[in-house]
Amino acid sequence: MAERKILRIALAGNANVGKSALFNQLTGLNQVVGNWPGKTVERAEGTLFFKGYTIRVIDLPGIYSLSTFSMEEVVSRDYIAVEKPDVIVNVVDASALERNLYFTVQLLELEAPIVIDLNQVDFAAKKGIKIDAEKLSKVLGVPVIPTVAITGKGVNELLSKVVETAEGKTKTKPVKIIYGKEIEERIKKLEEKVLEHFSQLCQVYPSRWIAIKLLERDSDVIGKIKNYADGAEIVILAEKLAREIEEIHGEPSPVIIASERYAFASSVAREVSCFEAPPRITFEQKLDAVTTHKVFGYPILAAVFASIFALIFFGGNIFSTILDENLGILLTHIEFWLSTLLAQEIVELICRGLLAGIVAGITIALPYIVPFYIILALLEDSGYLPRAAFLMDNIMHKIGLHGKAFIPIILGYGCNVPACIGCRIMETERERFLAGFVVVLIPCAATTVIILGLVGKYVGIHVALALYLFDLMLIFALGRIAFKALPGEAVGLIMEMPAYKMPSFKNVLLKTWSRTKDFVYKAFPIIIAGSVVIEGFMVFGILNYVVKVMSPIINGWLGLPAITGIPLIFGILRKELTLILLAELLPLQSLTAVQMIVYSLVTMIYIPCIATIAACVREFGWRRAMAITVIDISLAFLLGGIAFHILSLFM
Amino acid sequence: MTPERRRERFGNPWIRYRKDVVPLSSLCEGEIATMAFTRGGYGLVRRLAEMGLTPGTEIRILRRGPFRGPLEIEVRGVSLALGYGVASKVFVKPQKLVKDNG
Repeated sequence: MAERKILRIALAGNANVGKSALFNQLTGLNQVVGNWPGKTVERAEGTLFFKGYTIRVIDLPGIYSLSTFSMEEVVSRDYIAVEKPDVIVNVVDASALERNLYFTVQLLELEAPIVIDLNQVDFAAKKGIKIDAEKLSKVLGVPVIPTVAITGKGVNELLSKVVETAEGKTKTKPVKIIYGKEIEERIKKLEEKVLEHFSQLCQVYPSRWIAIKLLERDSDVIGKIKNYADGAEIVILAEKLAREIEEIHGEPSPVIIASERYAFASSVAREVSCFEAPPRITFEQKLDAVTTHKVFGYPILAAVFASIFALIFFGGNIFSTILDENLGILLTHIEFWLSTLLAQEIVELICRGLLAGIVAGITIALPYIVPFYIILALLEDSGYLPRAAFLMDNIMHKIGLHGKAFIPIILGYGCNVPACIGCRIMETERERFLAGFVVVLIPCAATTVIILGLVGKYVGIHVALALYLFDLMLIFALGRIAFKALPGEAVGLIMEMPAYKMPSFKNVLLKTWSRTKDFVYKAFPIIIAGSVVIEGFMVFGILNYVVKVMSPIINGWLGLPAITGIPLIFGILRKELTLILLAELLPLQSLTAVQMIVYSLVTMIYIPCIATIAACVREFGWRRAMAITVIDISLAFLLGGIAFHILSLFM
Repeated sequence: MTPERRRERFGNPWIRYRKDVVPLSSLCEGEIATMAFTRGGYGLVRRLAEMGLTPGTEIRILRRGPFRGPLEIEVRGVSLALGYGVASKVFVKPQKLVKDNG
C-alpha cells in the first residue's frame, strides 16, 4: 500500500453557519474534543481519508473577526498564521453573505490559502436569496463550493476542491482589498518599514497584514513588534499615521478600516446575490416572536428550564440510583474477594478509595452530565439559547453578568458540574470565571436534600427557605463584589440571534459523545485521586488527628460537636454524605436547632464537591479552581461561625 | 408612547446639542435608523464595528426586550441582540425624524 500523504485543513467562519455540522459530516466518530492548550476554548480535531490522503481537520471556534476581542479570535488567528494549515475551508452562511464576507476579507488579508464553503444554500433559498457561486469565485479569486452541510450535500465536491487546491491544481488569484487612498498611502509607508526591520516576523505574518493591524492598534501585534529592537519606533510611527487617518475621517481607526472592509463585503455580496419575492412568514419566525415575547416569553422560558431541570435531575437520579446500587453490590463482592488475598489496609485503600472514586464518578457525575450534554447540544443547535439570554439579560446585569449567564446559573440548582461546564458560553475569560464563581455557590440537588432533610424536617420549612433566601442574597452580594474586584471591562450583551433550526440528531449525539469522552479523561483522575487521599487519611488514622486539629474551629467557632468534622470532610467526595454520615455518627435529634442551621449553612457554602472541583479545574485551570475552593471554605466557616454566635443569642 | 415622547423621557441630554442623532435605545420597534457613531470604550466601539455597525449602516429595530432589556436589531441581513447599556451608547439618525425635520 502506498504511503498516505497528510493534509491539514482548518474550518473557519462565523458562529451559527453550520461549521460543526460540516465538521461532523467530515469526521464522524473520528474526532477528539478538548481544549486549546492553556485556554478554555473548545478544540475539535478529527481525521478522514479521501483520495489517498489522510486529512486532519481542525474546527476553529466560530468568530466574527480576526482581531483580539476574545480568546477564540486569538486562538484562531495564531493557528492560521503560525501553524499554516494546507487549506482553510471558510464556511460562509449563504443567507447572511455580507457579514460572513467580512470574515473572508480578513482571511484573504492574512494571505491564507482558502476554499469557500457556501453553506446553508437551502436556508438562503427559503429566505428568497440566491447566490451565484461561480461569480463569487471569480470576484474573490478563490474556489467557492455551495453545500448543505447538515445533509451532506456538496461535501464531496468540497473535499475534492480542497485536495486540488492543496495540490496546487486549482489556480487561485485571491483578490486584494484596496482601502481608500489616504489609508493605502499609510499602509505602504508602514509596510516598507515593517519589511525593512522585521523580516523574521514577516515570514509568519504577511507584511501588509502587519501594517494594517498596526494602523488598527491591534494590541497583540503591537506587543509582538515591541519585542524587536526598532519596535517602539515603528509603533510610534503607526500611532502617528493612525491619528492622521482619524483626523481625516473623524472616527477611530479600527472603525474606519472595518467600514472599508464592510464596504467591500457589501459590494461583493450585492454583486453575486439576487433577491426573489419577499418570503412568507415562516413557522420559525412565529416561534421566534412568541418565545421572545415580553409576556409569553417568560412562562415559556420557565417551562423549558423546568423540564430541562426535571429531566437532568430526575432522569439523572434514576440512573444514578440504579448504577449506585448495582456498582455498590459489585464493590462489596470485590472487597470480599480481595480481603482474602491482601492486607486489610490495602483492600480498604483500593476499594473505598480507588474503586469508590471511580464509582462516585460514574454514579454522581455521568448520569447528570450525559443528559446535560445532550440538552446543551439541543439548545445550541436549535437557537433557543440566545432567546433565553435575550429575556434574562436585564436581570443578570444586576450581578454584573449578562443574559447568557442565566443558563449555567439555572443548571447549578440541579448539579454544579454541568453548570461549571456551561460557563463556557460566556465570551471572555473574566466573565467565564465570574459566572463560575457564582455558580458553585448555588445549592445543588444534593445540598437541597441536606437542607430539607435536616433543617426542613427538624427545625421548620420556613427556616429552610430562609437559608435559600440567604444564599441568593449571598450570591448577589458576592457576584457584585467579584464583578468590581476582577480587573477588566464589563462586556454588555452583543449577540447574534440566529434563526431557529431543527437540530440534527447525528450532530447532537456526536457532540455529546465527544464532550463526555473529554470529561471522563479530564475529571475522573481528579475524582479518583481525591477519593484515595481521603480514604488514606481514614485507613492510617490521620483522620482522627485531623478531627482533633479541626476541633477548635468546629467546636469552638461553629459550636458543632467535634465529630461532625468527619462528615464535613467526606462531604467533599459527595455532598449527600454530609447528611448520611452525620446520621450514622449521632442521632440527628440530638443536635440543637442552631447547630442544624449552622451545619446546613456550612454544607451549603463550603467547598464544592470533588466532581465540581474537577470541572472547575477543567474549565478555569488549577489556580482559579483552587481560589474558588479556598474562598468558599473560608466563607463557609466565617459565615457559619457568625451565624452560630448571632443565632445563639435568640434561640 | 411615540418615539418622540420616549426620547424626551429617556433620551441622552447630550442630544440637545445634536438634535439629529439619538441613542439607539430610545427607538421603538419597527423604526429604521442610520448608524452614526458609538460612544464608549475602545473595545466596544471596535466590536460593534466588526459586527457590522459601521457609520452609515441601516439599522431596523426588530424587538425591544421588557424592562430596559436588550434590543434586537437587524443589520446587514443579520439579527443582533444588544444589551440596553450597549444600545444606549450607539447613536443613530432615525430615518423618520430626518424627514420630519425637512
